[in-house]
Amino acid sequence: MSLECLIGIKFKDFVIMATDMSCLQSIMVHKGDADKMQKLSSHLLMAVSGESGDTTQFSEYIEKNVQLYKMRNGYELPPSAAVHFTRNTLATHLRSREPYMVNLLLGGYDPDQQTAELYYMDYLAASIPVNYYAFGYGGWFTLSVMDREYRPDMSEEEAYGLLVKCTAEIKRRFLANLPKFRVRCVNKDGIKDMKNIVADGEPA
Amino acid sequence: MFQANTQIGDYLVDEHGRKIKLHFDHGTTTLGFKFQGGTILVADSRATSGQYIGSGNVRKIIPITPSLLGTMAGGAADCTYWERVLAKQCKIYQLRNRVHISVAAASKLLANMVYQYKGYGLSMGVMIAGYDKKGPGLYYVDNDGSRMPGNLFSIGSGSIYAYGVVDSGYRWDMTDEEAHDLGRRAVYHATHRDGASGGIVRVYHIKEDGWTIISEDDCTDLHWRYQDEKMASSSQ
Amino acid sequence: MSAEMLAMSEYGRDPRKHHFSPYADNGGTTIAIAGDDFVMVGSDTRLTNYSGILSRNQTKVFPLTEKTMIASTGCWADVLSLYKDLQAKLTLYSQEHHDEMSTPAIAQLVSTVLYWRRFFPYYVSNMVIGLDEDGSGVVYHYDPVGHMEKLRFSSAGASVAQIQPLLDNQLGALNMKDAVPPKVTKALAHQLMHDAFISAAERDVKTGDSCIIYTVTKDGVAEEQVKLRRD
Repeated sequence: MSLECLIGIKFKDFVIMATDMSCLQSIMVHKGDADKMQKLSSHLLMAVSGESGDTTQFSEYIEKNVQLYKMRNGYELPPSAAVHFTRNTLATHLRSREPYMVNLLLGGYDPDQQTAELYYMDYLAASIPVNYYAFGYGGWFTLSVMDREYRPDMSEEEAYGLLVKCTAEIKRRFLANLPKFRVRCVNKDGIKDMKNIVADGEPA
Repeated sequence: MFQANTQIGDYLVDEHGRKIKLHFDHGTTTLGFKFQGGTILVADSRATSGQYIGSGNVRKIIPITPSLLGTMAGGAADCTYWERVLAKQCKIYQLRNRVHISVAAASKLLANMVYQYKGYGLSMGVMIAGYDKKGPGLYYVDNDGSRMPGNLFSIGSGSIYAYGVVDSGYRWDMTDEEAHDLGRRAVYHATHRDGASGGIVRVYHIKEDGWTIISEDDCTDLHWRYQDEKMASSSQ
Repeated sequence: MSAEMLAMSEYGRDPRKHHFSPYADNGGTTIAIAGDDFVMVGSDTRLTNYSGILSRNQTKVFPLTEKTMIASTGCWADVLSLYKDLQAKLTLYSQEHHDEMSTPAIAQLVSTVLYWRRFFPYYVSNMVIGLDEDGSGVVYHYDPVGHMEKLRFSSAGASVAQIQPLLDNQLGALNMKDAVPPKVTKALAHQLMHDAFISAAERDVKTGDSCIIYTVTKDGVAEEQVKLRRD
């Protein structure tokens, strides 16, 4: 389950997120071009990992409700409000018969406040604003890299470079095979796809 | 694929008569891939209950509509029942909307149905394949509710063996004959290595104008045919 | 010791788990063979509970309509419940449509009824046998949760693993080189069924006493009973 890896890093005026592209089941890679990020609105992106089935059902439910809000009210939920809605949904289901077993990273840009935002959210519905975080075993390897290298004023190129360093460390030290990462960036202009990272670290 | 076991000891029950644990076996090989000429589905035909071969002649590729096929791996009854329900839903969709349902929509109907029963012990790993206005479609759906599109899937206990053959021979630009042969060989090799797979290797091809059965060969016949080919090529 | 003390000690005891199983395996074997214009179905008549014999004269084949029968073995309680359920559904159908349900329709109904019990299954091995709309014989075989297969011949129950290979060889011409399946006549079906039951009774403790054979044709159902080992 936590062989999956989600990475998110927040900077002054953008957020960058990377998710691995493998669908793993027991000992097999079922798919190598998966997209584990869901676009919730024009300026909000959610990376999802966890129990298969729950991940898609939960993220589509959230996305559809955020879209419904926009249709009803004529304006989008700001990222912080959408995150509150997501947390509330997760928390409500946690105490029910069918909790969603999902871990999330929500990265967004608030066009009104002109701030970038990144939230950690685990399956217990604990929500914490963070500068950077990585879910799964990948986090064990990459958090120290980010601790060492992170500056809030990094440029997009520098940020991408930081992600490359993180994924290279995963390739080098983690036993599971996560060769490719999908990368997206959220800034004042919305969500944009960046080049996939094909990790170039060599096993030591 | 398995039939429910008829050994009484396998129905373990708590004091309320709930929690019936069936002896779940997943003996099957199914394979599906997209290529330049459409979508190929291949499956063996063995059904086991425990060590007993309940049937050697099962159709694990089942028609859902004239342009949609489903494969079955896991519980035989689970797959047939839910794909029958799906067939009904697809027919109703067509009558209401006067268009054929897309592969994406059909697979999602199935995924949503089984997701409602998540944790209840259903056992199914299926492919939904077909042709719609977006071109050839291939989706994987399983009992924990996951659903994903892809170019190549293999499901069942023999899948690891089938993957080995198909991964090393797969190209997008294969001819139809090459694709049929690749699929057939992959599942044949799976039946050879996996005791829980066997019987007849059935090859189906889905194109724009619907699906057709390409071949149905007994594993034993394939074995000797491939053996002869190998001997002939090595003596040259 | 006072009653109060007794209650105290009972209360203080560790919780105990009582196991209860709603299932039993009452044994029994059934065989069905279809011909061009008939279908023959037989069962042994022994009903057991572990090594105890509950009955030496209980058929496991039941009529559903004029030209359809069901053969069920396994948990006898479930056999009875399932049969009652099917009878009720078929009665409702015949009163609503002023006609009996066809054999293929009954076959699908049985599959669905078994699947409705998916999470608390009827512990039964079933075969539905009958004449289809063209008057030719058909056999449908089921697993306990409703997976269905249409066949020309089949066996079910305690001795399947012994009988099915014999039928596959003699009727399906399997495991022989260049062999052609024989034409299934009533005489051949009867002889084979009889031999199969004798062999099963010889080696299976849950099969024996006698076998009862029904022959379904367009003229009705004929019944015949043949003795087997009674030990």
